[in-house]
Amino acid sequence: MGIVSALGNGVNETLQALQTHTSGVGALRYLQTSHTEFPVGEVKMTNEEMMNLLGIAETVPTTRTSLMGMLALKETLEQARLNSTNQLRIAFINGTTVGGMDKSEQFYLDFLENNTHNEYISTHDCGACSEMIADYFGIFSQIDTISTACSSAANAIVLGAELLKSGRADIVVAGGCECISKFHLNGFNTLMILDREPCRPFDATRAGLNLGEGAAYVVLESEESAQKRGVTPLSTLLGYANTCDAFHQTASSPEGEGAYLAMKKALENAGLTPEHIDYINAHGTGTQNNDASEGTAIVRLFGETPPPVSSIKAFTGHTTSAAGSVEAVICNLALQHNFIPVNLNFSTRIAELPFEPYYGSPSQIASRTLPIKTILSNSFGFGGNDTSLIFSKL
Amino acid sequence: MSVYINSIQQISAQQPLSEDWFNEPIMHTEAYNRAIDVDYKQYLAPNVARRLGKILKRALVVSKKAMEESGVAQPEAIITGTGLGCIENTEIFLEKLVREGEELLNPTYFMQSTHNTISSLIAIDAKCHSYNNTYAHSGISFECALQDAFIQLETGKIKNALVGAHDEMTPVYFGILKKSGYLGKANQHFAGETAVAMMLSTKKSERALCSIDGVEKMYTGGKELEGVRGVKKLLSDVDYVMIGTNGVDEHDAVYFDNCAQLFSGIPLLQYKNIFGEGYTMPALGVYAAATCLHKGEIPNHLFLGEKNTKKFRKILCYNQFEGKNHTFVLLSR
Repeated sequence: MGIVSALGNGVNETLQALQTHTSGVGALRYLQTSHTEFPVGEVKMTNEEMMNLLGIAETVPTTRTSLMGMLALKETLEQARLNSTNQLRIAFINGTTVGGMDKSEQFYLDFLENNTHNEYISTHDCGACSEMIADYFGIFSQIDTISTACSSAANAIVLGAELLKSGRADIVVAGGCECISKFHLNGFNTLMILDREPCRPFDATRAGLNLGEGAAYVVLESEESAQKRGVTPLSTLLGYANTCDAFHQTASSPEGEGAYLAMKKALENAGLTPEHIDYINAHGTGTQNNDASEGTAIVRLFGETPPPVSSIKAFTGHTTSAAGSVEAVICNLALQHNFIPVNLNFSTRIAELPFEPYYGSPSQIASRTLPIKTILSNSFGFGGNDTSLIFSKL
Repeated sequence: MSVYINSIQQISAQQPLSEDWFNEPIMHTEAYNRAIDVDYKQYLAPNVARRLGKILKRALVVSKKAMEESGVAQPEAIITGTGLGCIENTEIFLEKLVREGEELLNPTYFMQSTHNTISSLIAIDAKCHSYNNTYAHSGISFECALQDAFIQLETGKIKNALVGAHDEMTPVYFGILKKSGYLGKANQHFAGETAVAMMLSTKKSERALCSIDGVEKMYTGGKELEGVRGVKKLLSDVDYVMIGTNGVDEHDAVYFDNCAQLFSGIPLLQYKNIFGEGYTMPALGVYAAATCLHKGEIPNHLFLGEKNTKKFRKILCYNQFEGKNHTFVLLSR
C-alpha cells in the first residue's frame, strides 16, 4: 500500500502522525483562493516539488491530483514488489471526481478565449487523470475510473475484488486520488458545510468539514498469487457492500438507511455478525447531517454500545474521492500495529446518540489494550453512494 | 449465466425513444448536433422537468422507459458511464467562479455537477437502495459500467441491472474540445450527445433484443494491441464487427489496422455516421448492433463496406479510444 496526504508522504509518516495525534489540518498554504478562512488538510508540497520527487520535467503538463496519485502509487508498487518484469495482468482502478479541475479552473478563461493553455484541456477528465498516473509506470493492462464523489476510492476497492474473482486480472491496484480544487471548496462552501475551525467529527459542537487532499492505493491479489510471488499480505478484505441512500443529491437520510444497508450487507458479505467488528472506521465528516445520520445507522446495527468508533477526518481533512483508500491504508496500519486511530477534537457527545467516539490523549490511550482483528470502514458520498469495507488480520 | 438485453432506450441525434433511424436515419451535416429532446413534461412531473439539466432529464426518461419496458421497478444495480458528467452545470459554476469570483455562487449548479448525480437521481426516483456506481473514464466510460454489471450478472451476484451511458455536449464545451483536437475536425462525423439506458437480466424476457456474451477491456497505453488474452474467446463465429470509425483518417486507421489483425475478413459495420462522436457513443454502437440482431436485418447505412445480406447471429462491438484503450462487447441473437 502507499499513501500521500496532509499527514505526510508515505506509510511511515502517516503512522507516526496517527500515533502521536498530530493533525495535518491547518491554515491554507497551497491552493490559490480567497477563502483563506477555512482550515484544510493539504499535502505539504507544491506541484513542482512533487514533480521533482518523481523526476518529471517542468514542461510536462500535469495536474495536482495525478501527481499525488503517482507518489502514492510509487510507494504502493514498491512495497508490493510489482514492476514491468512481473508479466502479470495488473488492473489499475482509480477513484477521482475532481480529476484535472485544478488546471481547468486556472486556465478556463484561456480555454474559452485564447490558445495559450490548450494542453490542459485533455487533462481535465477523470479518465485522463488515471491514465496519466498509469502511464508513469506503464505496467497496467486494464484501467477503470470510478467517480462516486466521496466513496470513489472505496468503490474502486470493491470493483477490484470483483475483477479478481472474475479472473480478468491477476492483480488489482485500487484506490483514489484528489486534490483540493477551488471548484469544490466553493461548492462545499455554497452548501454551508465547511467549518472555519478544525473539524470535530461526532461532537455536539461540530459545524462542518475541513477539506483535505491526497492519494492512496492498495494492492489486491488472491492468497495463491501472493504465495506464488513470495509476498506476505497485510490483511484480508473480508467483505464489502455498495448501497444507495436514495434520499437526496447532497444530504443523508435522518435514519441513515444507505449507511445502515452498506454496513449490514458488508457484514453479510463477509459472513460476520456485528459482534465480530472490533473497530468502526467511520466516514464521520464533521457535518451536522453526516454524523447524525451515520451515528443513527451504527446504533441501528450495533446497538447502543457499539465497538469503538472514530473518524480520522480531523487528521487528514476530508480527502473526498481518495477518502476510501486513505482510510483503507490507515485501517491496515491499525491492524498491523494494533491501535485504534483516535477521533481528534472530541469533547461533547451528540445528545441524540448514545455513544462517544474513541478519543483520548496518547498517554491515556497507551494504557488501553485492545485486540484489533477486524475493522469496518465506511465511505459515503454525495448522491447517497454508500460503501463499507471490512478488513481483517490474517 | 447468460446475460440478456431485455430493453434499451435512447435519446440522441436520431429520433428519440424510437427505432425510426433504422429505416429513415437523419443524416446530419453540421459539425455539432445536440440530441433531439422529447417533451419532458410528458414523462416527468413539471417541477422535476424544470429543475433538472438536459443530461439529467434525458437520463431519467430513458432509464424509466427501459425499466418500465422490462417490468423491473427497482433494479439490483444502477450503473452509469459518463465521460464528462453534468458538464453544463459544471460549466455554469466554473464560469461564474472564474469571472465573478468566489462569492455569490449558486449551490444548485454545484449539487448537480458531479458525475454520480445521474445514477443517484435514478435511484432517488426509483427509491432504489441497491448497488449504485458511476464510471468516468473518457471514451470507455460506458464499457467500464457495462463490464461491472456483466461481471455481477455472470457470477450470479445480481439478477438484473440498469446500465446507462450519458453525455451532454454544450456549445462551449464543443468549442473547447475542438481546440484539444477531439471533436470538430475536418471530415469528422459530427459531435453528438448520448442518453442510453438498458436493462440487463439473467432472465430473458419475451421482448429481449439479444444476449451479451462477453465484455472485455484492454489498456495498451498506445502500444500495439497484442496478446489479446480474454478476447480470443469472443472472436469465434463473429459475423460482423461494429466499429467506431469517425471519418478522421489517423483515428480510423487504428480500427482498420487492428481489425485486419484480429478479425481479418469479417465485414465491418459503423454507427457514428448517424449517431456522431462523443465519449459514451459506444453505447449507441451496442444499441445499434442489438437492434440489428433483434430485427435480423442490417440497414444499408450501417455497412462500412459492401452491403451483405447473409444470415447473422453474432456482432462484436469493438471500440478504441486514442489507440490506448480497447474494448470488446460480444452480442448474439
